[in-house]
Amino acid sequence: MITLKQYYRQSATYKILRGMLRQFGSFLDTLGKITRNGIETAKYIFHGQIRWNEVIEQCRRFGISSLPITLSIVSMTTIIVSSQVANEMVKQGGGSFVGMLLTILIVRELGVIMSGFAIISMIGSSLASEIATMRVTEQIDAIEVLKVNPIQYLFVPRVLSGIIMMPVVLIIASVVGVLAGAVSSNLASGLSYISYFDSMWLGIYMKDLFVSILKAVCFGGTIALISCSCGYYASGGAKGVGQATTKAVVWSFVAIVIWDMFFAIAFFF
Amino acid sequence: MAIEVKNLIKVYDERRVIDDVSFKVRDSETLAVVGFSGSGKSTILKLICGLVEQDSGDIIKSDGDIAMVFQYSALFDSLNVADNISFALHERRDLRKKYTEKQIRNIVAEKLEMVGLKGIENKFPSELSGGMQKRVSFARAIVTGPNSILYDEPTSGLDPISSTLIEDYIVRLKDETRAASIVVTHQMSTIERTADRVIMLYDGKIVFEGTPREMLAKNNEYTKQFVTASLEGPMHMLA
Repeated sequence: MITLKQYYRQSATYKILRGMLRQFGSFLDTLGKITRNGIETAKYIFHGQIRWNEVIEQCRRFGISSLPITLSIVSMTTIIVSSQVANEMVKQGGGSFVGMLLTILIVRELGVIMSGFAIISMIGSSLASEIATMRVTEQIDAIEVLKVNPIQYLFVPRVLSGIIMMPVVLIIASVVGVLAGAVSSNLASGLSYISYFDSMWLGIYMKDLFVSILKAVCFGGTIALISCSCGYYASGGAKGVGQATTKAVVWSFVAIVIWDMFFAIAFFF
Repeated sequence: MAIEVKNLIKVYDERRVIDDVSFKVRDSETLAVVGFSGSGKSTILKLICGLVEQDSGDIIKSDGDIAMVFQYSALFDSLNVADNISFALHERRDLRKKYTEKQIRNIVAEKLEMVGLKGIENKFPSELSGGMQKRVSFARAIVTGPNSILYDEPTSGLDPISSTLIEDYIVRLKDETRAASIVVTHQMSTIERTADRVIMLYDGKIVFEGTPREMLAKNNEYTKQFVTASLEGPMHMLA
């Protein structure tokens, strides 16, 4: 005779609810681990326990390696937007505002969010898979047995390089994006370069630049921290490395969108 | 006593992988831990060196470092051999200021010579054979002068000659460092050539404790099955 409890446990509703609860538990677990690692990393940074050679090496990787793809994505997105917008604005008599519009778009949102996406796919995935591989091949265990703190050894230089290099990448990408917008607007609608560059300063204030750089700092640190954390808790061989990398990319995407929303509410509401 | 384990229990997924295990290892003694795959051998090493926390029981260790040689060497693939060996000397806060760069280079050369790999400081792990990687990991393990060395299946995946070489190094390291050693292994040759005592685990419990000679005498049902590699006996592959 099957009891009501047993019947309920076999039902699809129970299985779906249980699956959802398990997912939620896993979400909280990951969030907790990332937060804990973030606090520990910050502690080492504030205490100045930083291996600067390694930070420079990671900065090279973070900045130089990611720059070609970041510049390509930002400039191509600007070309797409400007070729759509510039023509219409010139037709409606608003050609003298195209530079302003594109500059606001690039400085406030496009530059930082597109750089963030490019860095996640280039650097975040690479950090996660590197550290996950170290985990599954027992290299992180070896670090611990040798009495070296893996958070200090692995996380600090990577997170710090994200914090330092993301604003640099953003500034370069934004400049290239604005220039690409000028060329594209000129080709798409015949808008003169003088008109474009004259108007680009009209809508930009120091606050925009400050918020954009602050965003880049938060994005860079967050991407590096999430990617390192997802790799750090990998398990189960090659499959585990793949899962950690996917998790790092997904979590980083969601995190920078949440950061972006937070900045929008905090500074532009 | 270098290492003493008392009533150790470790539970994974509601299963006791280590179930009330107790043993002692004296200075300059080598204890072999044998058993089926999944019987909890490697977990014991991880518990002793602090990579995993026990659910209950005590692990008493004498002062000083514990080193571990991992099953697949676990060399840092982004660092060359010299940097792998000197890793702890460069990165550990208590050792960083103790040695100059020149002294570290000399220590690395000395340890490499000890494992018979002179002059490969600038090679990367990917450029070395499995046996050479294992020997580099020996050198890395002993660089801090540990008083206990744990070996996780040191001869797995190696050809018989390389295995013999590794077994010789285990004995040599014990003689030269006077360290207590625990060797987790499946290989009878490793047990015979390196161990002073043997414990056998099955389903997380110790089912035999004695000398290699006593183990080979096959007086115990478990060791008899293990030594003869028989499918018949009290042990069954664990799920």
